[in-house]
Amino acid sequence: MTPTFLSAVVDALLPGDRGASPLPTGTAAGVATKLEHLVAGRDRALRDVVLQAIASGAGGEEAFLQADAAGRPAFVRRVEVEMPGAFRALVALVLQDYYEAEIVLLAMGWRAEPPQPEGHVLPPFDEALLGPVRRRGRMWR
Amino acid sequence: MARVDPVDVVVVGAGLGGSAFCARLSERAPHLRIVCLERGDWVDRSAMPAYRRDWQRAALGAWATSPNARLSADSTSPSADYAIDDSASPIRPLLWNGVGGSTINWAAHVPRLHPSDFRTRTLDGVADDWPFSYFDLEPYYDLNDTAMGIAGLAGDPAYPPKRSPRLPPLPIGRMGETAARGFNALGWHWWPADAAINTVDRDGRRACNNGGPCLMGCPIGAKASADIVYWPVALKNGVTLRTRCVAQQVIVQGGRAIGVAYRDRSGATHEQPAAFTVVACNGIGTARLLLASNVGRGADGALGRHLMFHPIAYARGMFDEELDGPRGPVGTCIYSHEFYEHRPGRPFTRGLQLQVTRENALLQQAARLEPAWGGAAHGLLREEFRHSLPVMVVAEDLPEARNRVALSEAVAADGLPDVRVEYTLSENSRRILDFGLDRGEEMLREAGAHRVARVPLAPLTGWHLLGTARMGSDPATSVTDGRGRCHAVANLLVADGSLFPTAGAVNPGATIAALALKIADDLAREVVG
Repeated sequence: MTPTFLSAVVDALLPGDRGASPLPTGTAAGVATKLEHLVAGRDRALRDVVLQAIASGAGGEEAFLQADAAGRPAFVRRVEVEMPGAFRALVALVLQDYYEAEIVLLAMGWRAEPPQPEGHVLPPFDEALLGPVRRRGRMWR
Repeated sequence: MARVDPVDVVVVGAGLGGSAFCARLSERAPHLRIVCLERGDWVDRSAMPAYRRDWQRAALGAWATSPNARLSADSTSPSADYAIDDSASPIRPLLWNGVGGSTINWAAHVPRLHPSDFRTRTLDGVADDWPFSYFDLEPYYDLNDTAMGIAGLAGDPAYPPKRSPRLPPLPIGRMGETAARGFNALGWHWWPADAAINTVDRDGRRACNNGGPCLMGCPIGAKASADIVYWPVALKNGVTLRTRCVAQQVIVQGGRAIGVAYRDRSGATHEQPAAFTVVACNGIGTARLLLASNVGRGADGALGRHLMFHPIAYARGMFDEELDGPRGPVGTCIYSHEFYEHRPGRPFTRGLQLQVTRENALLQQAARLEPAWGGAAHGLLREEFRHSLPVMVVAEDLPEARNRVALSEAVAADGLPDVRVEYTLSENSRRILDFGLDRGEEMLREAGAHRVARVPLAPLTGWHLLGTARMGSDPATSVTDGRGRCHAVANLLVADGSLFPTAGAVNPGATIAALALKIADDLAREVVG
């Protein structure tokens, strides 16, 4: 299984988007490199089952690489239907790495730092909003 | 089996019920020797995920809310879990096994039941009344409020006036304000949540800094949990807490409990003799231990039956303007009890709570999208992240004997029989959820949502495990009396959510704590006079 093929699968799953603050592709976010390590190690089953199925469905890794931007997701979708559980496990793996990447968090308008110790700032509660409710009578029985 | 020194009271489970019970009983009857056996251990706050860059994935692994998910994750969780066969339930049980129990990963939303919840048979002709009233339990709600410190606001017309003082309410943020405008436009009730979360420094615990992921533990201690609220009191009063000790059996001889057999961290088994045995292992663990101890009255007995969750559905509104996303305590924002009380003419019995929460982390939001990959997933996440407002429809589940906790023949790794949950969503609960989804969408549209997505029944919401050792006066249909005493074994008590005869439609934490405090007082009165 070549790094180029893995990268192409990752980018079919995580194509990124365009705009003022574009989401990078999965490969650009470093997900393909991590997936390469994972499928060589503890998650060999993903390589042997899901990734092989994607390659086979396309007629081989090279054929998958030759497919255009619309063709690659079609091969992936076919495997999603054939083996939803294993496919979902692969997607869960790549999502974890992708949405932890600083470049992705920033593109989504979030921050790279974890919730603590900084926390977040929220505006104080404006009790005036409760006026109509306070004017109601007893509701409880 | 080695026999250890006898004590007056042995408590099984150091979660909310067990810890509140131990703290209160040791205050009221300081001469008693009390031992608590806990299958898990203390949680190390410095190791909680919210300080780490990979914190988001912890919610899908070691800090998942589901014990089954934690067990199957390729990681070691600090929770000492046992598998629960939930294949016969559309709702997955969620809990934490360790000192503090499920308050370690609770949202700390602590509403009280309504007075009417204690009188459903009398008022509405369904289910059963509790053996006591809201006003009998009220002093214990107040005690728990004082122990935990409750952020909130007095004056909610949905409740009788609450006597215990409140800390300033949590900020409701843009999400809360948006929802509040929607509720106001419809003339519906809403109120800021009662939260067991510090909004000012208190009792050596810091004020909340709105970090967000409370369900992965609160590393700064702003969120109250039983390990940091009740256990310091209990330990100071001389209660002995033995962690990583798994109770195997309540030993009953001649109709009386004589103690508990347990396995310690080394695997050695012991017998802890005691004059009173108290079980507080939540609605699944308590039934599991008592059934394994053959305390139930046969296959037709109430033990393990009448399991109630709070079935939950979501209406999630998408807004053009930017909202808070995962800022602020995730489960505590505002709620509406407009449809809480039973009203004839509605297509269901009893009622519901509409609870506006904050959002989950980016990864969790991405992981539950459908589709979860490809350009369409990116598009959905762009529309949703920091622009969505979830309304949780919390239904009152009525007790039904067919919904139960049962044992399997096989023995689990912890030495107890494997446990399974058999649960079917009732037609009444379904109708409540559908009605609530309609109302939730109505509010969201009124508040300006351009799209509303619905989750008709959320599977990973089985936080509230109630009713499996229910209180009542009839031994044929209940397990304990109003003091938590088992009908079949008078010196065997239960002190957790298993006791609830009915569930109401609010989070049960405050009521579990209040019940445990009351049961401790009842026992103290008996032994002290």
